[in-house]
Amino acid sequence: MVTTRHQFASPLQLLALASAGIILLPLGYVTAQALSADPVVWQRLWTTRIPELLFNTVSLAASVAVVTLILGVSTAWLITRVEIPGRRLWEGALVLPLAMPTYVLAYVYSYLLGFGGPAEHLWQLAAGPQARIFSPHSFWGATLVMALDTFPFVYLLSRSALLSMNVSFEEVARASGVSRFATLWRVTLPLMRPSIAAGLALVILYVVSDFGAVSLLRYQTLTYAVFQQMTGRSDNTAASILSLLLVVIALIFLITERWFRQRSRFYQTTGRYRAPERHRYGRLGTSAVISYLGLIVGAAFALPTILLIQWSLSPEALATIDNRFFGFVWNSAILAAGASTGGVLIGLPLAYLACRRPTLLNLSCLQAAYAGYVLPGPVAALAVLILFTTIAPVFYGSVLILIVAYVIHFLPAGLQSLEPALQQLSPNLEEVSRTLGLGMRDTWRRVTLPLVRNGFVVAWVLMFLQTMKELPATLLLRPVGFDTLAIRVWMEASEEYFQLAAPSALLIVVLSLPALALLVSKDWRAA
Amino acid sequence: MLFVCSLSTLWRTVLSSLFLLFIVGAFVPSAPAADSLTIYSGRSERLIKPVLDAFTATTGIQIQLLSSGTTELLNRLKAEGDRTSADLFITNDAGSLELARTAGLLRPLNMREVDRAIPSQFRAPDNAWVGLSGRFWIVVYNRTMVQPDQVSSLLDLGDPKWKDKIAIPNSGSEYLQAGVSVIRATYGDDKTRQFLQGIKANADNQVYQKSSQIVDAVAKGQVALGIVNHYYIYRHLATQPDAPIAALMPDQQEGGMGAIMNVAGVGIVKSTKHLDSAKLLVEFLVAQAGQRLFAELDKEYPLHQDVKADPALVERKNFRAALVPLTKLAELREPTLALIEQVGLR
Repeated sequence: MVTTRHQFASPLQLLALASAGIILLPLGYVTAQALSADPVVWQRLWTTRIPELLFNTVSLAASVAVVTLILGVSTAWLITRVEIPGRRLWEGALVLPLAMPTYVLAYVYSYLLGFGGPAEHLWQLAAGPQARIFSPHSFWGATLVMALDTFPFVYLLSRSALLSMNVSFEEVARASGVSRFATLWRVTLPLMRPSIAAGLALVILYVVSDFGAVSLLRYQTLTYAVFQQMTGRSDNTAASILSLLLVVIALIFLITERWFRQRSRFYQTTGRYRAPERHRYGRLGTSAVISYLGLIVGAAFALPTILLIQWSLSPEALATIDNRFFGFVWNSAILAAGASTGGVLIGLPLAYLACRRPTLLNLSCLQAAYAGYVLPGPVAALAVLILFTTIAPVFYGSVLILIVAYVIHFLPAGLQSLEPALQQLSPNLEEVSRTLGLGMRDTWRRVTLPLVRNGFVVAWVLMFLQTMKELPATLLLRPVGFDTLAIRVWMEASEEYFQLAAPSALLIVVLSLPALALLVSKDWRAA
Repeated sequence: MLFVCSLSTLWRTVLSSLFLLFIVGAFVPSAPAADSLTIYSGRSERLIKPVLDAFTATTGIQIQLLSSGTTELLNRLKAEGDRTSADLFITNDAGSLELARTAGLLRPLNMREVDRAIPSQFRAPDNAWVGLSGRFWIVVYNRTMVQPDQVSSLLDLGDPKWKDKIAIPNSGSEYLQAGVSVIRATYGDDKTRQFLQGIKANADNQVYQKSSQIVDAVAKGQVALGIVNHYYIYRHLATQPDAPIAALMPDQQEGGMGAIMNVAGVGIVKSTKHLDSAKLLVEFLVAQAGQRLFAELDKEYPLHQDVKADPALVERKNFRAALVPLTKLAELREPTLALIEQVGLR
């Protein structure tokens, strides 16, 4: 037994170390460059840009976290615990915003809420011709767009928790005379805590490293400033200083989040054998629930999609749909599939080792993988670029370096679901299987794999979606003739050619839908 | 377990290695076809692609276009060195071309067509880069909100009376960097700093990535004034003739600096393997037919003396340009960036 373990452990260990190394190299490059910078540059940045950028970044992350927490948990609870007509449809609809890139939502809202836009016209009908509404190019605009776009992360993970939770805990509480509300507060929510924390972590990391929305809404965050520095300056010293700050913020946050999760680890002793009871509300209550869900889905998905369809059908937009356009489609699909597959393969040993053998080394490897996500797209891109020119110039200008940048950048999105999937799996199950005479290989195939399959599928899908939408790294690393749909949207939308950007934007949304369908299908939910 | 070596894992290893080889084969970039050129272009695709399409239509030479930011592409060319697949580098700014030349990225050219068509002040001494079209960094104003006599110099826009009334490009814009360089060379650092602090305060949140957005904001009345390259104004007016905007040629007063000029241009990358085709393209771009496209489609000032600018534009002989030579934009850039950063422009 001991010898087999060693045989098995060492290649896996090496693999994990190698993965962590690949992820840490860019980080090391940025850190080294930032720390070796002239103190004068540091001082100049501290006195000019850094206070504003830090404040903007942290306050945006906080406000988006609060809004997504409310939206995500409330919708998850309503979907799993309340009987409403078309429940299965709503269940899927709430995931749809994940197919909507932040920059698409941002450009739709900068049209809708913008100066002289439709929302302002409506408001002026009511409040007089001089009335102005709040500008989307502001803190609140950025909060609105980012929250509508990212709340499904919290929703998905909360819903998973509510579905796989052993309902007997709640039933025991109710049977002991605890009120329904107190049960929710004292039993259900605490049991959901690891999932909620994981979802919020995903949201905050997403906000902090987002480039598309904040740049279109002209809201200055650290990531946006890094991109501006990199594309507008010939040396990247200032960019790496700002990046280092980002990484530090993220590390502080991740360590806090880990600590919370450590304190609330629950093993699932049995699979979910019975659906929880769903409340039935009266007509008024039901329509209130439906309006609430409808408002969220409408604002985050339906309304933007209708606008995109309308714009795509305009003659200017239709004229752009030719062979060149289908080339962009192909490029996007290939890149996203490659990156998500690579991400799962690299993430698996990291997550597995950290769960099963939580030694300091293994945990550090896993934490290293998370840093990649907050290494902003542009900096990850530059570091990967320098790395490849030094160690493997033959790949230079190829798709491979772009995929490596994607994997580094989006691995945390995958790990966020790989890791809970492995955590929920009690080691006892594997041990029982071994005791009953199954070999290690059979145990893996017949016990471990089926139990963690869902986590893998979710991880793959999340990474596919994010890669397809990725902007800054693609802008910086794409080989010649490798424009993606995201690049096309960006090029047109940043000059406010809303119609011309629409077909590509709409297609990103459409291509993301099958992947999302997988997320909500019965297949992965059946534990 | 999967990781224990056995016969079937061996097979799996063989198969996956084959698969990996296949993938690697797909990922290593293939050599481009002989009759095709790869261009890194810092100009907006909308402004340059029609001209390149016209070239393809005449010569049959295919073009692979990578459109991105000028500085970004310059950084990329530097990082790629001799391995770059780029044959030509097109930019929106002479300073960037000069920086590429001094970094040894561009190839000196000996072409009579270039010498004849483009006046020497608009190209590098060794023709490593050649200016193609002229543009002026000027003021766009909303006619319902501003009288043209309220502004005579670009520097007036730093005046506190324009608080929340102006829109400016972000500090990564090569136009802005070149413009500030010219102002520094003319008036010195102190006055320039004052100007930058003024426009920073006046513009506040109205800092844009693209010139076309600035023109849009002025046309909608969101702001009264903006600083942009002249052709964005005329391109906007060409599609929307009723827009309440107009161009204002600044700094024409007695003893004034003159309007800030820059050129968009092209250079042949040193490591190109398609020199003949690349030269054909340069020849096409400086010839009358190519120059006319820049004038008509883009509303720029053609640099070929025999080609007329669009009649809607202020006639070139009716205004003065600032006297700072284009090649100086390169050496002025670093201290300009330091000043911009010091002021804290976005």
